[in-house]
Amino acid sequence: MLLLLPLAIPILGAGIVLMFRNPRVATRAALLLGGLEIAALGALIWQVHVRGELQAGRYLRADGLSAFFLMGIAFISSLVLVYASGYLRHMGEGRFTSPRWFYALVFIFLFTMISVCLSANLGLLWIMMEGTTLASALLVGFYNTEGAVEAGWKYLIVCTVGIAFALFGTIVLYLAAVKAGLSPDMALDWLSLMNAAPGAALDPHLLKLAFVFVIVGYGTKIGFVPMHSWLPDAHTEAPTPISALLSAVLLNCAMYALMRYDAVVSRAVGPAFPHTLLLIFGVMSMVVAGLLILVQRNLKRMMAYSSIEHMGIIAIGLGLGGPLGLFGALLHTFNHSVAKSLLFFSAGNIRHSLGTLRIDGINGMSRTLPQTSAALLVGSLAITGLPPFSLFISEFAILSEAFTQQRYLVVIPFLIVLSVVFGGFAYHLFGMLCGDPVRHPENARLIPSEYIVMGIAAFCLLLFGARIPYFFGLLLQEAMAVLR
Amino acid sequence: MDLVGIATGKILSSFSVFLFLTILLLAVARRISTSVLLFSLQSAVITAEVLATAFQEKLAEAYVVGALVLVIKVLAVPRAFFLLADKLKTVRDVKASTTPTQSVFIAAAMIYLSYAAVHSYGQAMHVPDDALAAAVSLILTGAFLMVSRKKALMQMLGLLVLENGIFLAALITTFGMPLVIEIGIFFDILIGLLLMGIFTFRISDTFDHLDVSKLRRLRG
Repeated sequence: MLLLLPLAIPILGAGIVLMFRNPRVATRAALLLGGLEIAALGALIWQVHVRGELQAGRYLRADGLSAFFLMGIAFISSLVLVYASGYLRHMGEGRFTSPRWFYALVFIFLFTMISVCLSANLGLLWIMMEGTTLASALLVGFYNTEGAVEAGWKYLIVCTVGIAFALFGTIVLYLAAVKAGLSPDMALDWLSLMNAAPGAALDPHLLKLAFVFVIVGYGTKIGFVPMHSWLPDAHTEAPTPISALLSAVLLNCAMYALMRYDAVVSRAVGPAFPHTLLLIFGVMSMVVAGLLILVQRNLKRMMAYSSIEHMGIIAIGLGLGGPLGLFGALLHTFNHSVAKSLLFFSAGNIRHSLGTLRIDGINGMSRTLPQTSAALLVGSLAITGLPPFSLFISEFAILSEAFTQQRYLVVIPFLIVLSVVFGGFAYHLFGMLCGDPVRHPENARLIPSEYIVMGIAAFCLLLFGARIPYFFGLLLQEAMAVLR
Repeated sequence: MDLVGIATGKILSSFSVFLFLTILLLAVARRISTSVLLFSLQSAVITAEVLATAFQEKLAEAYVVGALVLVIKVLAVPRAFFLLADKLKTVRDVKASTTPTQSVFIAAAMIYLSYAAVHSYGQAMHVPDDALAAAVSLILTGAFLMVSRKKALMQMLGLLVLENGIFLAALITTFGMPLVIEIGIFFDILIGLLLMGIFTFRISDTFDHLDVSKLRRLRG
């Protein structure tokens, strides 16, 4: 029951929101339903914490790892829903660009992402992962401009093909499990796979083949270089609340799926093979995205490349393994989400106040848009990994694990990319914040729904940089226990 | 063993030749309608293989899957394609970036490659080489169609061919996944096609053409 509620609310909510033609009523209904959803997720996370694991039927299960990611989804999506309620006032009234369609699609998108985290069966997980692409494609193309249609089409095609490879990998894993004597119904159940793994009953060749396909498949969704081509376009062309959802929640969900496969394969054939692949993709994504940040001309595009870079960091943390590597990777998924949503929220404000996102078209923002500039500055300092913000902690954990294992081939590019990215952000930001303002904004003041969520995000970045809250730390420990 | 039993046992490997035939014909097809018909034919062959497997392994679930393939891939999807092409009033040419001769050579090379790739796996898993090679070459052909045909509709079709290959691979190695999962996958494909249909409308509305190779405003 507790497992079904967080799934039922968004899917019913999508239908309910669609019934309200009045934009203001639709927005209020969406906020109310969003609040209910957060409460349901909160209750579920608490129950998982108390009982350790919840199961409903054969296909749904929540354990520590799901609870950790669900907490991220709940936190970010509540910020996004509140921010969107103010943001949508800028949106023109079209046939499908009304708030009710926006919220209905967002709820369906949330439904698919929550189901990814609640799937006990890897087949169901694949179905829901593909569902996330389908649910968000229309949101990416929401503005219906040339760029948005192109980005939506690219997103749909690239991710569907990528995910098809993950399906092939899942089938190979299924084959290995059936050959090892698991019953067909349970052969894709994650827990029974984990239990079957240590006895070396699963064919190692098939498992390695499966993991290669899965890392390419879900890696497309995560945005690993060289399968990242959809990501900058989709993030740039989507409405800003959706960019935040894509970057801060969707990429984490794909990473979550990869973690599940990685755990099974590592346990069966040893961590060397899957972890090396993760390190290769991680370093490649970091280096390429880090360099591309330097040459970007669009603010949101720069942030999209920064997301690729951070997914690379998380993959490196996973690939290093060990207590600190895993701790850093999981913590980084959350920290990156918070920082990136703060950045996208400020980008949304800039777009509406100044009418452009071109970095060279913006000057002297600190005078004309002081609040947004402060948010942008805090977000950028956090995302480049400076203390006292929380991303410093997680990146430091991953780095110290790399030093402990003496992986200098990882450490050197990691440090170089971090400094290059810092330079890139500083260079771009300096031009935007300082100087004489060229354009003057139409309305510089933020409305409460905007500055409240941005304040919460910034506070969270500082808080987690100083000290990880007790309950959050517990959840993190439980998530790590599931993977080990 | 009765005659039907022997015949169904051989279907998996012998029907591969029909699949190879559709692959080669898809490579030379110049019109979208021909390609759609070939896809329908290809799915019909796969339906036969599903039913043969269901008969031989006495799997009741597989009959349901076979019926789903028949209804969705052989009948509904091609029908939807014709409707879409009609509504969009698009030119019938697939706009290939390779000549038919080149395409057929590439397709043949991919079939050869698939045989070479699956050789070691087939024997280890007691699966006919031909069937496995057919599955792999369907995947490769699907990908090839997606990169070499410029029409949005042909990219959708390439995706479907690729998906046919994955489906076939699952069928011959594991006799298909559990029914719930299969239905979920079919559902995803349907929604995916629906969305791609919506996007093709939007592309033709905003750009006045369906040539996706000209969608290149976003780069870098």
